[in-house]
Amino acid sequence: MSAFVIIYYTLLLGASCLAAYFNKRSAFLLLFSLTLVSFILGIIGGVSALRIVAILAGLLGLSAMVSYAFREFLIAIASHNLAKELRTAPLTAAFGMFVIFTVAIAGIFAPLIAPYGEAQVITSAFAPADANMLLGADQLGRDVFSRLVFGARNTVALALAGTVMAFLLGALAGLLAATTGGWFDQALARTSDVIMSIPSLIFALLMLSIFGGDLANDTTSFWLLTGFAGVVGLLMVTAIFENSIVGWAVGLAVLVGVSTAFSGFMLIIFNPSEIILILVVAVIYSPRVFRLTRAVAGNVVVMDYIEAAKLRGEKTWYLIRREILPNSTAPLVAEFGLEFCFVFLLIAGLSFLGLGIQPPTADWGSMVRENATLISFGDITPLIPAAAIALLTVAVNFVVDWMLYRSSGLKV
Amino acid sequence: MGDILGLVAKRLGMGLIILLVISIIIFFMVELLPGDIAQAVLGQGATPENLAALRKEMGLDQPAVLRYLHWLSGAVTLDFGNSIVTGASVAQTIGERFANTLFLAAYAAAIAVPISIVLGVLVALLRNSIFDRVANVATLTSISSPEFFLGYILILYLAVKTGMFPAIASLSNDMSFGDLLYRTFLPALTLVLVVTAHMMRMTRAAIINLLASPYIEMARLKGTPPWKVIVKHALPNAWAPIINVVALNLAYLITGVVLVEVVFVYPGIGQALVDAVSKRDFPVVQACCLIFAATFILLNLAADVGSILTNPRLRHPK
Repeated sequence: MSAFVIIYYTLLLGASCLAAYFNKRSAFLLLFSLTLVSFILGIIGGVSALRIVAILAGLLGLSAMVSYAFREFLIAIASHNLAKELRTAPLTAAFGMFVIFTVAIAGIFAPLIAPYGEAQVITSAFAPADANMLLGADQLGRDVFSRLVFGARNTVALALAGTVMAFLLGALAGLLAATTGGWFDQALARTSDVIMSIPSLIFALLMLSIFGGDLANDTTSFWLLTGFAGVVGLLMVTAIFENSIVGWAVGLAVLVGVSTAFSGFMLIIFNPSEIILILVVAVIYSPRVFRLTRAVAGNVVVMDYIEAAKLRGEKTWYLIRREILPNSTAPLVAEFGLEFCFVFLLIAGLSFLGLGIQPPTADWGSMVRENATLISFGDITPLIPAAAIALLTVAVNFVVDWMLYRSSGLKV
Repeated sequence: MGDILGLVAKRLGMGLIILLVISIIIFFMVELLPGDIAQAVLGQGATPENLAALRKEMGLDQPAVLRYLHWLSGAVTLDFGNSIVTGASVAQTIGERFANTLFLAAYAAAIAVPISIVLGVLVALLRNSIFDRVANVATLTSISSPEFFLGYILILYLAVKTGMFPAIASLSNDMSFGDLLYRTFLPALTLVLVVTAHMMRMTRAAIINLLASPYIEMARLKGTPPWKVIVKHALPNAWAPIINVVALNLAYLITGVVLVEVVFVYPGIGQALVDAVSKRDFPVVQACCLIFAATFILLNLAADVGSILTNPRLRHPK
């Protein structure tokens, strides 16, 4: 029995007794079951297993404190109404917000935070961590920490762009389908059924095998992007102008201009292979958004106030903008978070397979792949970007969980 | 009974139609390539003679619809043509790998299904307690982690640091079954971790939904012992959602296997697909995609049919 084991059990038992004395039932149950589990773990794994448990518990306690402080900070700076809602947030949601905030800061100010450039070779391959490099060097001698910071920018920006595009297409189509109904609704629903019955990773691989290689150039990606923007715009023009021919003519002219400008703008930000990736993601995930939006909007459309608005002679676009959207924001926002998680994991997975974001761009998925050989030497470097992926996804999920709970609570 | 058979037949028909549409998508997506496959394979520097020869060999001189019908009739008899890169028969290259993948998925499912259903029911019964909340956080974390993260953690702690299991799942034909289970334990465990979390959450939601229904409350109020409420009243209606959960997650397993296979260098069809995509070996990509999509649809179909067949209201019509 080392001193560590004695202190470990004393603390655990003492804490459970305290919890029991103060009638904190759940805390007591948690602490005491942890004690019982530790007995078994200690017998099987020895002191090192207990040490791992202690470290994990310490980390958990630390993150709980951070989230508590962050929630209080948010409540302090928020307006009165917002503060009231923030007070209902569980610690997990506060933790999620903290992680999202950190990643956002890291991504936005990446060049200021990172000590080196993302593709800058500064030392020999796989050099260990020292005073200059917090996390050591990767397989080409680039600073892992800097690449992690730049990865926050590249990976998240790409996933966000993909989610936004999927959302634009899916939500617009879903709202239109729910409002107009008829053959338009049926055709879109059947199409989305077919796309959703292909597993997303498999469909992504199929599309990347076709649009990869030589095809990932400026011209192709420009035209694909313009085509996508055109479809979204066409849906919008249909919604706004309905039957007016003059409106259509004006709308189409504006549409051509806007989608070309949009594609040009996107080409400045992303390189062609990244744009292909964004489009692939948008095509795969928009049916899911479509289905949810259609269901949510379908519940709103049957309400009496929609009937009243229709009788007033309001147009489709007004109905969507002023009546349906405000009444379906909560589930749509939660869905955005969920879709972001899916998209983020898909892009990370593709990059890990070497088919997503291409080197030398720093990206969390490909960083895992590049450093994977280190794992067989017991080095945790490849786990760090993977953990970053997991952490951000968990964080978004926590926040979404809270929002879903709130929106379902408000409905009852 | 006629009703049920009709419903099942209708679902099967729908499944077949979707499969057909997907085969059309998979085939004609490749046709989207500017020029054709031959051009894509040989690249910009190809001589016209080479191109013509390759086109002839692949039957590209025929119209696309004819080629599609030919490909489809081949696919039905498991003949997917030859690989562009190696020239070997696609069916032969993939066949054994597909069996390996099925083995891995079945292995993972055999562990995950009982555990997650028992845990899911338990958590549903203990809902809103501290255990429920801990389980909620734990499963959310596990779902949110990419498969390669869990895989590498397992490799680091169970293979490299303690040496309990092999890090690379290499297979050979003369291995005993026990040896096979031992060597593929880590990839299976990774899949188990991901799928168990999904299944637990879905089982929990299904059971809670069920326990909230009025007839369960009625049974409680008339003084039925709790175990009897579960076994006699809840379970007959719970089979449908549970079968659904299992089938949906098996479908997830089949595709989640791709990343896990790459992490553990497991000789399965997922790795074949990834290799083929990076080499742009279209016949192999098409074949793998069709197999994955077919399995996915079949399992979804099984979920639907299973929930129809176990629905007491449909089995005992008034």
